[in-house]
Amino acid sequence: MDELLYFLQQTINGLTIGSTYALIAIGYTMVYGIIGMINFAHGEIYMIGTYIAFIVITGLAMMGIDNTLFLIVAALLVSMIVASAHGFAVERVAYRPVRGSKRLIALISAIGMSIFLQNYMRLAQGSRDKAIPNLLPGGWEFGGKGFVVNLSYMQVIIFVVTLLSMGALALFISRSRLGRACRACSQDRGMANLLGINTDLVISMTFVIGAALAAVAGLLLGMYYGVVNPYIGFLAGLKAFTAAVLGGIGSIPGAMLGGLILGIAEALTGGYLSSEYKDVVAFGLLILILLFRPWGILGKPEVEKI
Amino acid sequence: MKNMMRKSLMVLAVGAAVTSLTAQAEITIGLAGPVTGPLAQYGDMQFTGAEMAIERINEQGGVNGEQLKGVKYDDACDPKQAVAVANQIVNDGVQFVVGHLCSSATQPASDIYAEEGILMITAASTSPAITEAGYETVFRTIGLDTMQGPVAGQYIAEQAKPENMAIIHDKQQYGEGIATGVRDTVEEAGIDVVLFEGITAGDKDFSSLISKLKRENVDFVYYGGYHPELGLLLRQSRELGFDAQFMGPEGVGNPDISKIAGEASEGLLVTLPQAFETDPDNADLVKAFEAKNQDPSGPFVMPAYTAVYLMAEGMKETESTDPYEVADYLHENTFDTPIGEVKYDEKGDLEEFNFVVYTWHADGTKTEAE
Repeated sequence: MDELLYFLQQTINGLTIGSTYALIAIGYTMVYGIIGMINFAHGEIYMIGTYIAFIVITGLAMMGIDNTLFLIVAALLVSMIVASAHGFAVERVAYRPVRGSKRLIALISAIGMSIFLQNYMRLAQGSRDKAIPNLLPGGWEFGGKGFVVNLSYMQVIIFVVTLLSMGALALFISRSRLGRACRACSQDRGMANLLGINTDLVISMTFVIGAALAAVAGLLLGMYYGVVNPYIGFLAGLKAFTAAVLGGIGSIPGAMLGGLILGIAEALTGGYLSSEYKDVVAFGLLILILLFRPWGILGKPEVEKI
Repeated sequence: MKNMMRKSLMVLAVGAAVTSLTAQAEITIGLAGPVTGPLAQYGDMQFTGAEMAIERINEQGGVNGEQLKGVKYDDACDPKQAVAVANQIVNDGVQFVVGHLCSSATQPASDIYAEEGILMITAASTSPAITEAGYETVFRTIGLDTMQGPVAGQYIAEQAKPENMAIIHDKQQYGEGIATGVRDTVEEAGIDVVLFEGITAGDKDFSSLISKLKRENVDFVYYGGYHPELGLLLRQSRELGFDAQFMGPEGVGNPDISKIAGEASEGLLVTLPQAFETDPDNADLVKAFEAKNQDPSGPFVMPAYTAVYLMAEGMKETESTDPYEVADYLHENTFDTPIGEVKYDEKGDLEEFNFVVYTWHADGTKTEAE
């Protein structure tokens, strides 16, 4: 019984981490699906989202507002807007001018953007860790005499918000006019353009949506872990990118699945093997997938067009 | 002909460089440590102490008629950057260095300094491996992990007496070194360590580790590493209902840990160098720090002050700025300094240095533990 509860606890831990990987992974996968490039600055957008949430929460708290719900909603809205603006600007400044050229050039531009954003935030906010107070402490406890399973409110919120965001995104892509344009662009951008779809707008929207979801992840993780520094974007981006590739880059359900698998694999490795092997297992999994199913779990094999 | 010209130009240039060095009326001391990065506040402690010493020595007329000048070099606690910084220090012709801070950065840098005959005194690196090579010009003004580990281990064995003890470290030279030291001491005292595990520095999620500690019914956790990770570990432990006693080395003793962990940092045990600022002999110095609105209580402030002081003493007594002569003088003599009596062994380690166990409080202050 205790063993089962322990397994349950580790799965909950894994689902929480996995959800946030998934939220960030969406940004990678959408951009790849439409313009076929990896936006390496995406982890930095997540970091900026966390900072903005931190600034809004401390700012409002200093003004004497202590309504938790209001604080969270305000932080969410402001950080989504600011992060989206960053996503939009990054695309305009660093990617659109080089869109017609070789893939490698866009990739280098993305890495440059990532370094720029990291240092710009470091100059603006300093390199020390900033702490965000825990707005929703506590949680539920259940289980037997030996092992007690803890489920904190934040863990539940992270999982639920991720599911809701994913659902909303899936609806948007499959039902809305802009979503249809997105799908058309991802199938054949040249043809979509000929048929009167404003592809520039669609691409900009992709960056904006990805950035907004990264800001959601930024707020949730900022509140959950409680610290932010200018370097958090790198590791988070790397893990999310792994999740996106694992699930099949370009596929939105794939990003969700990839994130959850990665999170659970990490938690179970930490729980049963050793925390030292967490990253070994995570990236080992990536290598295995790339060897046997290079297009990922839910991706489609790419047919090279000649 | 052209070749001749180039050669003579080169000779001229070298000549000019040499004269410009000797004509300098200032002795530059390189202050190497993290100006940026997550451990920058420890760097600040070191710079505060060293700069205060430079200022006070200059007020009293400098060294052999020359003024001291401190120049900061940023290694961000990164071993790779530390090597670049060390090379830059060599190129700048600096012969005296106070630093570096993190053991993993000091280690590769010290090789370069020893090779180039630069006198280096670290005020913060506690890894024994740094002085293991026996370099003539490498010293420290702080104790070793091998001194700190046993203090912590003894306290655990005699006061805390845990039933199920776990040791976690961050896989870095400093953290793992000290964690191993603690393990050896407590195991000698007959305490079983049920879990000895590494985490990745920079990681944010420790929930799976905490659940594991909970399953093993761990009631005491020793953490070898720095405050950003321990802060998160404490905070998430509180969240997940895991309430063991935590303990860490001086790398976690920083008010920021209370900002990160909040209430969860109350009662944390920390081994720190003895609080030099409470020593009555240092009252004058403490006042000087307070007059400048600086905090003298950081663990590395007084050691950094002492490092500069020792260099100046050595230069004065030998009437030279030759690092080897100064190093010989430091090896042979005993000094009365703000960190107490300083006497070096042949490796450049202090023969005596006291670590004390403190209890940390949620407001970022500390009191001596019972």
